[in-house]
Amino acid sequence: MNYFTQTALITVFFSSISVNLFSQTDSIVKPDSVLLKQIEKQLNSSQPPPPPVQMRTSPTTLPDISVVGDFQASYKNNVKRNFDAGINEAELALQSVVDPYARADFFFTVGKDPVTGKFSLDLEEGYLTTLSLPAHLQLKAGKFKSAMGRINPVHSHALPFISLPNAYENYFGEGINDEGVSLSWLVPNSLFYQELVVQFTDGPIDNPSFSRSVGNTYLELLHLKNFFELSANATLELGFSGITGHNFLDLRTNIAAMDLTYKWKPVQFNTYQSFTWQSEAYFSNANILNDKVVNSFGMYSFINFQFSRRMFFTGMYSYSNKPYSSGTVENSYSATIGWYATEFQKLEIEGKMTTSNMDKEQNQILLRWIFVIGTHGAHQY
Amino acid sequence: MKLKIVFILLACIGMAAANAAKINVVTTTADLKSITELIGKDKVDVSSIATGYQNPHFVDPKPSYIIKLSRADMFVTVGLDLETGWSPQLLSSSRNPKIQKGSNGYVDASVGVTLLQVPSSINRGEGDIHIYGNPHYWLDPVNGKQIAKNICDGLEKISPENKAFFEANLKDFNTKIDLKLKEWAIKMSSYKGVKIIAYHNEWCYFEQRFGLIIVDFMEPKPGIPPTPSQLVKIISEVKSNSIKVIISSPYFTTSSSDVVSKQTGAKTIVLGTSVGAFDNIKDYFDLFDYNIDKLIQGLN
Repeated sequence: MNYFTQTALITVFFSSISVNLFSQTDSIVKPDSVLLKQIEKQLNSSQPPPPPVQMRTSPTTLPDISVVGDFQASYKNNVKRNFDAGINEAELALQSVVDPYARADFFFTVGKDPVTGKFSLDLEEGYLTTLSLPAHLQLKAGKFKSAMGRINPVHSHALPFISLPNAYENYFGEGINDEGVSLSWLVPNSLFYQELVVQFTDGPIDNPSFSRSVGNTYLELLHLKNFFELSANATLELGFSGITGHNFLDLRTNIAAMDLTYKWKPVQFNTYQSFTWQSEAYFSNANILNDKVVNSFGMYSFINFQFSRRMFFTGMYSYSNKPYSSGTVENSYSATIGWYATEFQKLEIEGKMTTSNMDKEQNQILLRWIFVIGTHGAHQY
Repeated sequence: MKLKIVFILLACIGMAAANAAKINVVTTTADLKSITELIGKDKVDVSSIATGYQNPHFVDPKPSYIIKLSRADMFVTVGLDLETGWSPQLLSSSRNPKIQKGSNGYVDASVGVTLLQVPSSINRGEGDIHIYGNPHYWLDPVNGKQIAKNICDGLEKISPENKAFFEANLKDFNTKIDLKLKEWAIKMSSYKGVKIIAYHNEWCYFEQRFGLIIVDFMEPKPGIPPTPSQLVKIISEVKSNSIKVIISSPYFTTSSSDVVSKQTGAKTIVLGTSVGAFDNIKDYFDLFDYNIDKLIQGLN
């Protein structure tokens, strides 16, 4: 074999290998040619192409606006008018950041007068909240729901029951919702969440326990919230409140309150199942005429169990005296079934029985339909 | 002995100082956490509010998250109203001006991402429609590059002295995405045009990137649980299109898709929507490795 033949054979051999190799590479590339070419085209360009300008809806400085409708129907025994139905309340919420330092929240309600049936507009809440105070402080100024316990700060439409617990209603009516200032401090505790709130407000105009003083006496409130994350799925909240102010006799009433809430919600399937056990107790010390003091007590406890994606059950018990009558004893029991169509609509039906040593037994069946339009902010956990 | 104690104390102080020097980042989701860790590496300490197996639309705004946010230097959000039900309340309760919207420490990871399904009009009658477009954009790995760029920009604002470090990490991240993308594209090449059913409308970016066709959803409308009539429709679609797979997410029960599976033989596959959805999805790259392998397994 001469030199030329050897060279020719070697050339043919290597050519056949290279052809084979390339044909193998081609066979890898072939099936994904279109997709891979598209991707390679994108990757090979030195700079990624600038994304096309997309309109992300027209920018606006308008606040988040929402309206919450609350339709209710009821049957009550031992009253003149047994059946009733209609819009109980409509809430208009306007919420937005004011500037880099504060946000503002306004809640207007159009409520029906139970006697005249006429609707009237009222400012339920309207307050400014700071976002940038040092030392983990937050100041709130305006009209707001007091930070007492678990029910008071929550709007009624977000509660898992229709009728308020008797204990709460006997001591605070529809709630303490007052004008003034609130300072909260996030306690630098690395073990668990702790928040201390101090509030000074004018004093509510019509409330079973407190009244607006004509003098320089204001409603003073202190609330300590302790929140423990027991596991990824379970939490415990323990709160202590102290509240002092003038009562309708222009004498002082002091109330100490304690709340305990256990929540279980599996993180993975949190839209399907949950369980809450919440209790509050109120210890009232009311000064009345002739240097007399009335010490009374009220408490409620409820469980709320979500047994499917849309269905909830709430069972509640409440024991209560009255702020000026420790001899009055009221026991109430209620059961509520809630159907949550979406996060914007729910329907609830509730049966409630109240017995009292001072009054006839009261039974009621309530129906509530809550619906929201617009962008409504989240409620507290 | 005294010397030992002094040494231990010094070591403790040193460790504390090293930790204190790290940029404290809180992200809303585990994917953003993973990408932040890949860009920030040892310069960041990152925690995520939502877990990888949790529905990011519905996270309870627990006060314990406020503690994390109150100490954060940077907050990274998916944006596009995905977290609208919980993150605004947590942010305003954090009392932390560094991470409020508009501040240097607020990073909207969606900036610059080309969005899909941007509605021309909004009507809640259509279900949970997001006004800015479909917010599940991290499920396209190419969008991961834009997310990483946004995070890198955020970190540079907070720590300009580490700019070169973050940018080098961003470059590495992009290179790895490019390499992996070729690998994923090759794996998925035989399945281009394959029709599937999804539980919720959260896969459009994944669908577009890998050439799948989502024929319909188990939910009749986004956020509305499957109804009997929807199941009947799905069963008919599965049969007429010879669909082999129904994809779902870890936070949805498979009871309704199991009904369809039983009637049609189509398999229900639970894919990971986020890092940490399953034990073996440890970072952003694993998310696509897992989903692609799982999907191919199902389709075969």
